[in-house]
Amino acid sequence: MATIIQIADAVVAQLNSATFSQPITATRHYAPSYKLPDMKTLHVTVVPRGISSTSLDRNRDMFSYEIDVAVQKKTDGDQATLDALMTLVEEIADHFRVGTLASFPNARCMDVKNSPVFSPEHLDEFRQFTSVLTLTFSLVR
Amino acid sequence: MTDLLDKGSAWLERQRKKHATREVTYRRGMDAVVVKATIGRTLFEQDDGAGVTVRMQVRDYLIDTADLVLAGEQTLPAKGDRIEEIDAGLKHTYEVLPLGGEQHWRYSDPYRRTLRIHTKLIETEEA
Repeated sequence: MATIIQIADAVVAQLNSATFSQPITATRHYAPSYKLPDMKTLHVTVVPRGISSTSLDRNRDMFSYEIDVAVQKKTDGDQATLDALMTLVEEIADHFRVGTLASFPNARCMDVKNSPVFSPEHLDEFRQFTSVLTLTFSLVR
Repeated sequence: MTDLLDKGSAWLERQRKKHATREVTYRRGMDAVVVKATIGRTLFEQDDGAGVTVRMQVRDYLIDTADLVLAGEQTLPAKGDRIEEIDAGLKHTYEVLPLGGEQHWRYSDPYRRTLRIHTKLIETEEA
């Protein structure tokens, strides 16, 4: 199996075994597509995003694997719900910021990006919270 | 001088309401009113922003401006209002939301008699 898929699966496993301020069930997708009525329940989606590499020597490269973690939920636009979802996003970011993946310990999370912190378009047009974290894992192979 | 276009528009509006409407429930929180609505364009759209596709049914409702009375007061559509439509034993709930670059509603005629309200399907359940 491709390394980036193994890392994405490890991210899913780690998310599903961790405890956050609200329960989540993460799933891995290639091209996630949801219907708006289904978004009343919290969706946490893991998607492989990109790979880059830098040569270290003749036999080894330093690979960077980018994995997106999308947190999405249809809301009524009330601030308390949005605040709770922002807290969840921060908790997920903090969870990966420290340490390696339990089921793929060779990969270390080196960078966490969350920009923009939420999609203003989704909030305006669907009253749906959408926030995408991009986790970058480094691995020498 | 009589505004013939105004009179013609008023006649057309009466015909629309008489022959091309169905009853829907317009709801804002605990307040609701049953109004006659014409179902306008119904589209299926998708948004690919943020790397996750969201698919939705978009529907416009045409409602008499004068009919939108909630809690005893004439009002205009607000984002987040709901329109409930019962069809074939199912209750479809649409939420009033902006559409693309447009606001969530606009007047449908130059005389402000009819509202065109943009909505998106958010729930379908047994009626």
